[in-house]
Amino acid sequence: MAENILVIGGGPAGLHAAIELAELGVNVSLVERDTFLGGNPKKFKYKYLFPDLQPADDVIGELIRRAESNGNIKKYLSANVESFKEEGKKFNAVIKSDSGSETKTFDSVIVATGFEHFDPAKDSKYSYQLFDDVIDIKDLERMMGEENFNRPSNGKPPKNVAIILCVGSRDRHVGNQYCSRVCCTVSVKQAIEIREHFPQTEVYIFYMDIRTYGFYEDLYWKAMEEHDVQIVKGRVAEITSGPDNTVICKGEDTLLRGPFEIPFDMVVLASGMEGGPQSPEMANKLGIELDEHGFLKYANVTLSPCKSNKDGIFLAGACTGPKAIADAIIEGGAAAMNAYIYAKKNS
Amino acid sequence: MAEEHNKNSVRPVAEKGEHIIARHLIDDDAIKEEKNLVIDGVDVSGRWNTFIETRVDSEYDRSFFDEIQKTVVGSRINRCWQCGMCTASCTVTPLYRRFNPRSFIYMMQLGNLKQLKKYVDVAWRCVGCYKCSQRCPKQVNPAEMMEALALLIKKYFPEEIKSKHQLIIDEEVKKIYEGMILGHGRLDLANLHTSAMRKMGKTSELLSDKDERGAIFKMMKDGRALSVLRLGKPHKWHKSKDAIDKYLQNTGTLEQESQV
Repeated sequence: MAENILVIGGGPAGLHAAIELAELGVNVSLVERDTFLGGNPKKFKYKYLFPDLQPADDVIGELIRRAESNGNIKKYLSANVESFKEEGKKFNAVIKSDSGSETKTFDSVIVATGFEHFDPAKDSKYSYQLFDDVIDIKDLERMMGEENFNRPSNGKPPKNVAIILCVGSRDRHVGNQYCSRVCCTVSVKQAIEIREHFPQTEVYIFYMDIRTYGFYEDLYWKAMEEHDVQIVKGRVAEITSGPDNTVICKGEDTLLRGPFEIPFDMVVLASGMEGGPQSPEMANKLGIELDEHGFLKYANVTLSPCKSNKDGIFLAGACTGPKAIADAIIEGGAAAMNAYIYAKKNS
Repeated sequence: MAEEHNKNSVRPVAEKGEHIIARHLIDDDAIKEEKNLVIDGVDVSGRWNTFIETRVDSEYDRSFFDEIQKTVVGSRINRCWQCGMCTASCTVTPLYRRFNPRSFIYMMQLGNLKQLKKYVDVAWRCVGCYKCSQRCPKQVNPAEMMEALALLIKKYFPEEIKSKHQLIIDEEVKKIYEGMILGHGRLDLANLHTSAMRKMGKTSELLSDKDERGAIFKMMKDGRALSVLRLGKPHKWHKSKDAIDKYLQNTGTLEQESQV
């Protein structure tokens, strides 16, 4: 008899886990809260993925197509896990979707509830939603995807753009002390895109540290050396309105030890990642632990990644912390293997 | 009596900005004060019209960056990420703290002439040891960037150079420079510096200035002075020399049209 495994979340990690398991012959139930598969990359229409500026559709679209065409995956859209109960080594779950509730028994569970973009409106110093020309990382991604890179205020292309890193990350004031890991690389990628398509637009990146780790460093070097993107050291403390319909970034240039108040046509806030809104709910229902940052907690971060504190429940993707899509996909595969082994042992 | 009192108590002309609290924190240039000024018939001479210019940087001038990038010596300005390896390895910085290649490159990147102007007196002090260029992790070539800086200062602050620092670059110095290039194929900045001072009749300044004296003794002590003298000629110099001679026969001068 084939194993039954529940995958909660249809983003990159959940999709990849479901596909791997389905190819092993497992009956997978894939539960997704949205009306579509693909998670945040699909929701916010990411256009190109770092580091190779690969079209997002080649990755996310491909995962969705594979999941949809696989007969072993039963998809539940606009759905959630309503109740969850352990029974011996197995789990009983009630999945509620548009087509009603369904009770199923599973051998193991993979939680891939993902992340949420930090909402910059929560941090008033950046004046997000106050000025039209202050946008954030996901807004820019969407604008690039729609090929409409113009100032929201007047529809004209911006002469200069400021990208502000660490918005909603590494900031005790907003409650997030951690580094969101990918915003630097995404921002550098976006800077390159802007410079490539709109060479007349100057791009400045305000940073405290630039954390384009590993080979993502190549992208950072490329932005500077091939696209003349200028980095300025200092965090921006205030965004106010300036002359000629500009927005002024006020901060300290920590290298020159002096204040600056520079007018820009557009400001892009590199907002970080926060734990998915479903994560606390899942932690509660499934009886797994949430860490102090609002992400789901590994049992042992080095020895048994993918394992939650509860036997038979595994974690994958950005629900355990900020990470790149490539890493989320890898984790989906690892969690699939863990879940399969557990199911095999106990069935 | 009253008249006499008035005559005796004529207020002396105040020193520029002397009434400003913590005056030492503000640069001379930032204080705007007219000795005599009448606005709408009201005499606002003296302290009444004192203004302190903002110290906030309110513009990035990218045209400046483009200008530097077009020069041969400054072409890699876009590479610098301000790690400070150049300043860390610099021969000059320990002697003149205000000579900071890292910060000069940054000011050039942002087109911050206001800041650069403050360093006109030290900006040309590079001795050309190229330690910075050897260590720079991004291969910016900071040593040559300092040449770009010198050219730039020459272009934008000629008055500053003449009036404040008497750095007269005359025909004599140019001859020394060409002699070095043509004779040895290498530029020895320390040598150029001392020769230029000698030609300008300022040899005594080399030893009267405390910093300068310190620098010379230090370089003699740790052997750098000697290694400068032993620079030698580049590999297969005669071939290059022939090419340069040929070039000179055609054009008659080594000087290029100024790019900065």
